[in-house]
Amino acid sequence: MTIDVATPPVDQHPQTAVRKSGPDRRRGKGWLIGGFLFIICLAMLSPILWTAASVTKPTNVAFLNPPVFFYHPTFQSFVDLWQTTDFYRYLINTLIIAVISTAAALIIGVPAAYGLSRFRGWTSAILLILALIFRSLPRFSIVLPMYDLSKTLGVYDTRFAMVVALVAINQPFSIWLLRNFFAEIPQELDEAALLDGCSRFQVLRRIMLPLMGPGILTAGIFMFLFAFQEYLTALILTDVNAKTVPVFIATQLGQTLPMLQQAGAAAMLLTLPVIAFAFIAQRYLVAGLNSGSVKG
Amino acid sequence: MSTRIPKRPAAFCALGVTLAVGATGCGAGAKTAAKSATSVTCGFSAPKQSTTVNVLAYNSSAIDPFTNTMVKSCSHDGVTLKHDPIDFGGQVQKTVATLSGSKGSYDIIETYGFVIPEYASTKKLMPLDGLFKKYAAKYKLNAINKNMRTAMTYDGKLYGLPMQAQVFVMAYRKDIFKKLGLTPPTTFAELRTDAAKIQKSGGVKYPIALPLLASNDITYSYQSALNSLGAHYVDPKTKKPNFDTPQGRKAFKALMSLKPYMSPDVTTFDQPKVQQQMYNGSAAIAIMYSGRMSDLTQKSNTKYADKFGFAAPPTVAGGKYEYNNLSVDGWSIPTNTSLSKDMLFQMISSAVSEKASKSALPAAYPARDGVVTDSSMPYAAAANNAIKHALPADTHTYVSKISNDTRAVVGSVFLGKTSIAAGVKKMQQIAEKDVAASQ
Amino acid sequence: MRRREYVALVLPSVLVMFGLLVVPLYRTIEWSLQKVTYGSPGSFAGVSNYTSALTDPRFGRAVVFTVGLTVVATAILVVGGYILACMVNALRRTRPLVLGVLLISYVLPQIVGATMFSWLFDTNFGGVAEYLLHVVTGQEVHWFTSAWPNRIILVLNVVWAALPFAMLMIMAGLQGVSNDMIEAAEIDGVSRIQLHWHVIIPSIKAIVGFVALISIMDILRVFDQLIPLSPQAVQLGNESITLYIYNVAFQNGGQNLGLGSAVNVLLMVIIMIMLSPFIIGLLREARKP
Repeated sequence: MTIDVATPPVDQHPQTAVRKSGPDRRRGKGWLIGGFLFIICLAMLSPILWTAASVTKPTNVAFLNPPVFFYHPTFQSFVDLWQTTDFYRYLINTLIIAVISTAAALIIGVPAAYGLSRFRGWTSAILLILALIFRSLPRFSIVLPMYDLSKTLGVYDTRFAMVVALVAINQPFSIWLLRNFFAEIPQELDEAALLDGCSRFQVLRRIMLPLMGPGILTAGIFMFLFAFQEYLTALILTDVNAKTVPVFIATQLGQTLPMLQQAGAAAMLLTLPVIAFAFIAQRYLVAGLNSGSVKG
Repeated sequence: MSTRIPKRPAAFCALGVTLAVGATGCGAGAKTAAKSATSVTCGFSAPKQSTTVNVLAYNSSAIDPFTNTMVKSCSHDGVTLKHDPIDFGGQVQKTVATLSGSKGSYDIIETYGFVIPEYASTKKLMPLDGLFKKYAAKYKLNAINKNMRTAMTYDGKLYGLPMQAQVFVMAYRKDIFKKLGLTPPTTFAELRTDAAKIQKSGGVKYPIALPLLASNDITYSYQSALNSLGAHYVDPKTKKPNFDTPQGRKAFKALMSLKPYMSPDVTTFDQPKVQQQMYNGSAAIAIMYSGRMSDLTQKSNTKYADKFGFAAPPTVAGGKYEYNNLSVDGWSIPTNTSLSKDMLFQMISSAVSEKASKSALPAAYPARDGVVTDSSMPYAAAANNAIKHALPADTHTYVSKISNDTRAVVGSVFLGKTSIAAGVKKMQQIAEKDVAASQ
Repeated sequence: MRRREYVALVLPSVLVMFGLLVVPLYRTIEWSLQKVTYGSPGSFAGVSNYTSALTDPRFGRAVVFTVGLTVVATAILVVGGYILACMVNALRRTRPLVLGVLLISYVLPQIVGATMFSWLFDTNFGGVAEYLLHVVTGQEVHWFTSAWPNRIILVLNVVWAALPFAMLMIMAGLQGVSNDMIEAAEIDGVSRIQLHWHVIIPSIKAIVGFVALISIMDILRVFDQLIPLSPQAVQLGNESITLYIYNVAFQNGGQNLGLGSAVNVLLMVIIMIMLSPFIIGLLREARKP
């Protein structure tokens, strides 16, 4: 099952839907399914909706039990979060780490994926299997030695250490994903260009990259997402200077009011861009997940 | 790839909300809590290059005034103090982590009497006697209560500069007590009767809330019960642990006798959760450290703010000592910091100055003599009373080790998974090993 | 492609992966055979760490819990993902909106999502789900101090976070099912259920297998979610293997780094065992001309 990269799978041809919306008697069933889906969407959103409610309530009713459902909304917890904690610093850390590790991962990963997609042979298969194995490793088996190493080298608790760690940890997946995208570009294009006298690197730069735009963007989005979501690695490798937002939120779980409500505000501040991201980058996420699948 | 920009109303809606909420971030970091804190003299000679001092201290309305005063007053001349918010569990973890290496992440650490022996004996904290003498006059350090200094002393040397005392205080709902004609209980038996009456009246299902978090607080609570029966963890003279004794067993029985009146979730309650129980009106009586009491009186935290009364905790079975745990919180300097210890000491001294201590009222009970009067804070009388009737702390190194090693068993007994008899036997064995190892 | 070019293209990535993945892996194995703590050289301890781990009932409980959680959650993910995929696949105009909403739980950092999830059930923080349940059934459930309710919310949270992934993968598979096959089956007059069971599911077997594989791989390593959702994990027997490693090898300054590393290796073995059918499949694919 190959997906044509040029067409977003989400908007794919309606005829391939399993259930054809047919004659009118099926319309009733459609409403049933729609209603069911609505409930599911609501259920999937419920934690976020409840947190949004909790952080916009006045502090003395925010965590009341039994909970209150009618209140005067206020953004005070957000203001307090920004002004009384260093949240902006953690947010900047998280963004910098995510962006730089994504860029670095792509710079290293794109050539490697290209090579793997063109050089047929058992080494490719071995490398891909290794990539799968590396992706499945227990995180601590990698991060604890990194902790030890970073302390020895004096880069403990730096954004640099986090970037390097994330580039390494996410390499296997990014190579795998990119390789699948590369494999969909016909090799004839390469060969034609080579015959014309281009070097392999020129082929990569001038022909592959433009075609791979969406693929690279997809891989970049996944890299960014994984870096953004990372908690375990940040927990071990950061402390004061390079702290990221997930780690910050985790250190606030045992706080009392009003700091606990501010932790919820921090969670919402992280969630809202993520929601916008999910909508905007939807097609790339879908394409990436589709392409990362097994070739049937 | 199709180049049309999809009209995704939902996406742009989300983006819009994000920006709007992000706009609350105008002035991020502007008015940090430290900036609005008291400013005191913090005169040290700043090093030539710009320096950052990292402070490790958990957040509570009692500790924050001292931390914030220190951060505000001592950040000058190229020196910046940094303090990240962190909960108590996080501080415990980070303390272990930062003290375990040859280079630590933190330069000033909040410590308390309980952990001093362990870290002092392993030379992870710096003795402060020399610097204390040097700056006693400048920062009026001799006014810091002598007993509290002793609580932070190990082997004759001072390892922490006391900032406040923390002692168990009982908070209760005055309105409920008045309605049912109850008076604050002075023994556990009275506590049970009061709680039963509250329960029966249908007002509060689980009237009592104690910090019995199975992964941390429960050992302090057990120790308090034991202390109330006149026993330490380990008899200081015979060096025999007191678990497999009538007192050891009775302490368990006493705590467990409160179970019918406590939420089944009580083993997940750390102090913030006990506070939340009181905020929500889910509990009517709570016994926990005095540093958590002032929060209960804030209208911004709870609508019951003006309905709380404070009293000294009850005794387990009558007698001299109350169900209590006297702790002294203070500032320590780790040996593995690379900054000037002189400068760091001046910083912590300024944090416990008279002006700083006064500004910490009513949330904290400062360690400085002459600052607290019975009217300083709603729970002052209760705290003063409690301090008088608490068993003096045991400062042997094995105390914290025994506490950590027996924690799982204490939880297991309390939850009913292990019988009291089997549990105390196991704790006795563990304690004997720890005492032997510390000799 | 010539070998020289190939090596030049692939080298930086291989170096990164080798230096930063293989070398730490080697260290972990080295530590597992030692009694060691951070920053200081360890003393050789043979297989004593492994025997300690394998005879520790706490480790046994962690394995049982983790494997149980994995099996249950994966089953729910596969079935739920399939049902959702069928439903969403049938949408047209509203599909982007629904997909966007469903993707949210997948893109959230797991610890943030789990924290929000825990607030639904914790009466100390509002606990609206517990409240509604209480109102409807009159029952009081203790989601954080009773073992099985805690397991239920853990399964729910794991499924909540991974369902979008499962759904999307299966949806892609559904879109690849040949229309001719479906039409032929419908002409034969098979029922809906038979259509799914006998025609569609067999043709997306590979994708479903893949979803199961990734789920197994990820849920066996669950860690982030347990921090907010199961603070009593150890007491309840709900400690995952990774959480056990963290508690043992990092929490108290890494006193038991050797033991933790041994458990890391054991976890790797468990994961490899579960991966082996898939690896064999890949190898077989590669051998094809």
